[in-house]
This record gives sequence, C-alpha cells and structure tokens, in this order.
Amino acid sequence: MSTPVTLAAPTAESSKPIVLIGPRRGLLDLDLWAVWQYRELLYFLAWRETKVRYKQTMLGVAWAIFQPLLTVMIFAAIFGSFAKIPSDGLPYPVFAFAALLPWIYFSEATVRSSTSLVSDANLLRKVYFPRLIIPLAAVIAPIVDFALAFVVLFGMMRWYRVAPTWNVLFLPLFLVLALATALAVGLWLSALNVKYRDVRHTVPFVMQVWMYASPIVYPVSLVPEQWRLLFALNPMTGVIEGFRWGLLGKQSPDFALIGASAVVVVGLLFGGLVFFRRMERIFADVV
Amino acid sequence: MRMNAIEARHLAKQFKIMAAARRHDTLRDQLADSLKSWLRRPDASRAGHETFWALKDISFEIKEGETVGIIGRNGAGKSTLLKILSRITEPTSGQATIRGRVGSLLEVGTGFHPELSGRENLYLSGAILGMSRAEMERKFDAIVAFAEIEQFIDTPVKHYSSGMYVRLAFAVAAHLDPDILLIDEVLSVGDLAFQTKCIEHTKRLQASNSTVLFVSHNMFSIKSMCRRVIYLSGGLVRYDGPSEDGIALYEEENRLETLPWAVNQVGADLDQLALRITATEIMDEQGRPCHVFDHGQRMRIRLSFEARGEVKDANFGVSVFRSDNVACCHFNTAMDQFPVPDLSGTGSIEVLTPPLKLVAELYVVNVIVRNTTRGDLLTAQVGPSFHVRHEQLNTHFGVFHEAAEWSWGD
Repeated sequence: MSTPVTLAAPTAESSKPIVLIGPRRGLLDLDLWAVWQYRELLYFLAWRETKVRYKQTMLGVAWAIFQPLLTVMIFAAIFGSFAKIPSDGLPYPVFAFAALLPWIYFSEATVRSSTSLVSDANLLRKVYFPRLIIPLAAVIAPIVDFALAFVVLFGMMRWYRVAPTWNVLFLPLFLVLALATALAVGLWLSALNVKYRDVRHTVPFVMQVWMYASPIVYPVSLVPEQWRLLFALNPMTGVIEGFRWGLLGKQSPDFALIGASAVVVVGLLFGGLVFFRRMERIFADVV
Repeated sequence: MRMNAIEARHLAKQFKIMAAARRHDTLRDQLADSLKSWLRRPDASRAGHETFWALKDISFEIKEGETVGIIGRNGAGKSTLLKILSRITEPTSGQATIRGRVGSLLEVGTGFHPELSGRENLYLSGAILGMSRAEMERKFDAIVAFAEIEQFIDTPVKHYSSGMYVRLAFAVAAHLDPDILLIDEVLSVGDLAFQTKCIEHTKRLQASNSTVLFVSHNMFSIKSMCRRVIYLSGGLVRYDGPSEDGIALYEEENRLETLPWAVNQVGADLDQLALRITATEIMDEQGRPCHVFDHGQRMRIRLSFEARGEVKDANFGVSVFRSDNVACCHFNTAMDQFPVPDLSGTGSIEVLTPPLKLVAELYVVNVIVRNTTRGDLLTAQVGPSFHVRHEQLNTHFGVFHEAAEWSWGD
C-alpha cells in the first residue's frame, strides 16, 4: 500500500476513535462523558435558543423585562392591593418580584425542555449527538432572560430602598436547584412527549397549579402549620425562600427542608436520566 | 496492512409499525387499546404492533480508504443501515465497529435556522456535525468560498435562494474532513456545476484515504465513484463485490422500477398500473442485443407491455438521458404520428431510432407512457443503460455531434 501524503502518521492512526455500535444493555450506562465532549454544541444550541427567541420582534430583548414586570404589576394590584395578602413586612412588588424571577425561569425551562425533543425532531432524525444536550440546552437558555430581569429587580429594590444582604452570594446555589428541578422534570416529560404528545397539553396546566403551590404571591407564613412540611418538599419553595432570604433579608429558610427537597430532586434527576437514556433508543424512530 | 474502518456483524433492525387504526398518538388511546386487547386475549397487547425487519442480517467489512456504494430498491434498508452506522438509531441486534470520525451527509442543512444569518448557521451546524469552534474558525473562509455566498454571509438564510441554502449547507458538511463519510443521495441537490464540485470534493477525500460509504439510486455516480458495491435486498446483503457486476445484477433485477420523479403520480407498485412495461430491450439495427454503440449507430428498442383491462389512447415514449442527467433526446408515437390502437393483454412495440450522434458517455433509456389527449402518466420506468463510443467526442463537445459543412469565403 502506498503511503498517503496527507495524514496517517502511525500515531494519527492509533488515535482514531473507535466506536462500538450495538443494542445498549444495562440501565446505568448514562454516558455523561459524551455530553461533556459535546459541550460546544450545548453552548451553540443554548445560544441559538436565545438568539432566535426575540428575532423579528419590535421590542426584542426588552420582552425579557416587560413580561415579568407586567406580571408583577398585576400581582401587586390584585394580590397586594385588593386581596391585601401579607408580604412579611416588605413592599409587595419587591416581595413578589424576588419570587417571580426564579419562578419564571423555572417554568420557562421546564416547558421548553419538555417540548425540546419534539421541536428539534429534525436533528434527532438526521444527526447523532448525545440527545441529553437538547433538554439541557433548553434549561440553560432561559438563564439569559433571568439575568436581564434580575437587573430590573435590583433597580426595583433601590426604588423601595431594600438593601440586599451578603447572603446574595448563595443565590447561584438556589438557581442551580431550580435548574436541576426543571431538568429533572424536563427529562421525564421530553422523553414521554416523543411518544405521547399529551405532554404538550398537560405541561402548561401543571405549571399553573405548581405556581400556586409555591409561595410566590403569598408568604410561607400564610400556609397552615400542619402543611408546612409537605409544602417545603416542593423544591421551588426552597428556591423562592432562598431568593427572598438572600435578596430581601428575610429570615433564613429551613435548610434541612431544602436539603430534603434537593434529595428528592437528585432522585428525580437520576431517574430521569435513566428513563431518558432508555427512551433515547427509539427517539429517532418515533419522533 | 490496512485496518478495517467499518465492521458490521449481523446487524438487524426491527421497526414497530402501528396500523393506522391503531395509532397511539395519545396515552389515552394506548391505555384504552391495551385494556381492550387485554380483555380479549391475554397477550394481544404485544400482538397489536406489526413488526417489520428493515435489516435482517447484514455483515460486511470496509477497509480504510475504500469507497463503497450501497445500492438497492426503495425500502431495501439502505437508509436504515446508514442511520445505524451514524448512530442516529440503534440496531435491534448485531454490532458494528467504526474506526475514525464519522461525518454523515444524511441530509444537508440539518439544524439550520431560517432566522439566523449564514455566518451564525455555519457555526451552529458545524457544532451539530461535530466540528469544534476552533476548527470552524480555521475553515470558515474556505467554507464560505466553497459555497460561493461571500456577499450574503450576514443575511438571514430565510432570504437565501434554495440554491444558496443548499450550497451553504453542503459546504459545512463537505469540510468535516471525516475519516469516514456517509453520503445519502446528497449529490442530487444543486445545479450541475455544484454537483461536479461535490463529486470532486468526495474524490479529494478518497485521495486522502478517507473511507466513503455512498448510498444512491444513481448507478452512474456509483459507477464513477466506487469500485465496490454492496447491494441490499429485503434487509439482506444480496451482493458484495466489484461495482460493474453488482450494478449489472441490480439493473437486471430492478430494471423496470418506476422513475423516482414519477412515484408520486403513479405509485411505486408496478402491479397496480393499468399499463406497465414488462421488458425493455435495446438492440442494434439488426436486432442483436447491444449495450455499446458506436457514435452514429441506430438503436432498436423493443418495449414489451402488459395492459390490465383496455387502455385507450396510449402514447409510448422513450427518453435518453446522459449520466449527468442531461436529457438528450426523446421519441414518442404521438409525435411521430404512429397510430396506437386500444391495448389489452400483452404485446410489444418497437422503435428504430435515427443515427445516435451522441458524444461518448453512458446513457440510460427511460420509458414513459402517457395518455395522448389528457397527457396524464400511465407509467414511467427506468430502462437499460448503454455506452456510446467515440475517440474524441466527449461531454466537453456538448450533447450530440454531426458534421457541419465548411467553405472558404470569397
């Protein structure tokens, strides 16, 4: 055989990746390493989500601010002024906004990741890459909107003269908890959605119920004592309480309960990963 | 010694097909249906799906640097095989080992977003196809130049013409520099100049010792690119060996398949047609079977047909296409004012062409029968191919050549 000039030095030969293709066995073959190898794709998909979202809109990225702002104004009017729901001594708009931001992020992330596989069906059918990238990109992308709205929150806090505490440094942790929860739910639902399109109709409704089950428009102190424990197991309760604690200097949330709900989330996330990987085999065939 | 780039061992893939009436698009249907069948007979829920083996047992080895054509009819399993090798779908059983980076051109433009600019889409689809950002930055100019869209690189691709879109999409895929390239019919896109460019690019890849797996219906491009073909039929390897023989066997077995463009109009199932061609023979003027013609020789084509019921007003036609899909000439009974009576049962019709003054190349005869007055298609089938021989005349001279008369000016 003549030696090709271009490449194929012996070292290059041996460094060629070897891929084994066959029916997958074993439940725990999660192959997270592949996701890491494809991290640039993750970045580009998240970037595409953000970039495309406000294309051909007149207000563009300003929507990321208007939406939560309008919502909080409505909340302030209805729940704060009319219904006079207590807000633990804080100005109601700040009280609600600090909770609404992580909630909007969470709900966006959950909804988008749940439908992500189906909306990227074209990719699934045509190219190989670790499928996990798709729901993962969907929960990462809304962080941009979150960050933008966060600036507005700081403006609002200045206006109402509410000073943040040093605990603000813990906020990323709570954001991660929200992300993990959204991803856990998203993994289950996106995989189910490939086969059963019921998911698309169910998710918005579930999110609405979930919102009222989280202390966004009302404080935890309003929840009857005997329900508190169950209430705290909702991971979003921990996230929201954490945000109010870090930003508004409210009393610290019960970290034991947050830990408990984090354990639930990790369990859900792990189960979601296993389920997702199992379903992954048929994605390209049924989507 | 050359290593194997691809080893496939007993690959099989089963699909579940759900009958239209039993499609479970929603969980509720599925639950209701399983319950119903469970009440009737215990294991009916499993029997509810019809299964279908797209691949039954496929084994082969492909050495590094080889270019192999995959041929077979629609539904023979070609695309499924490529999907398995590119890891889009998993085999039901069997195994494949792949050595090297795989680039697949299963469909160009995957992941393109209409709202994003050409530049943005390049980075995106590069990432989707497995190119790193550094690599993309290095190759960016070459890709844009290859696609010939320098001026429009910052325009959203939704404003591109379809030609520009395809060129850009293919350009990314073409610059993957994979060790193994899987191509599915992709060369049929774009204009001729671009197609040539793509073939050249693939040849460059071949020269740099890349392995190429090439699925196509176009026997001409298979012939020009591959020395070996794997012919799939019914999910099995029907033939694996030198292209010439494999293509001959394929053409022998499938010669009268419906032309791809006509499938939408008349369907792929020949048995359903009111009139179908059962054999197309090409011969020299004296009626001897012939596949290589000298420039200027006449050709006799005999079409055997079978009519279901009575077929009125048929217009038999034969078209000669060159291997690069250039339509060269066409003869039909209506144009030549040859009366065709009402047809029933079987029969045959013959045409003797004028001297074929085509340039030396490979050609295919397609048979098209229409209704003379309404113009609707009765059948359109792929016929046999033939060569034209000439020492000088090739495609650079055009389509045909005939001596002209010259004289000196006064």
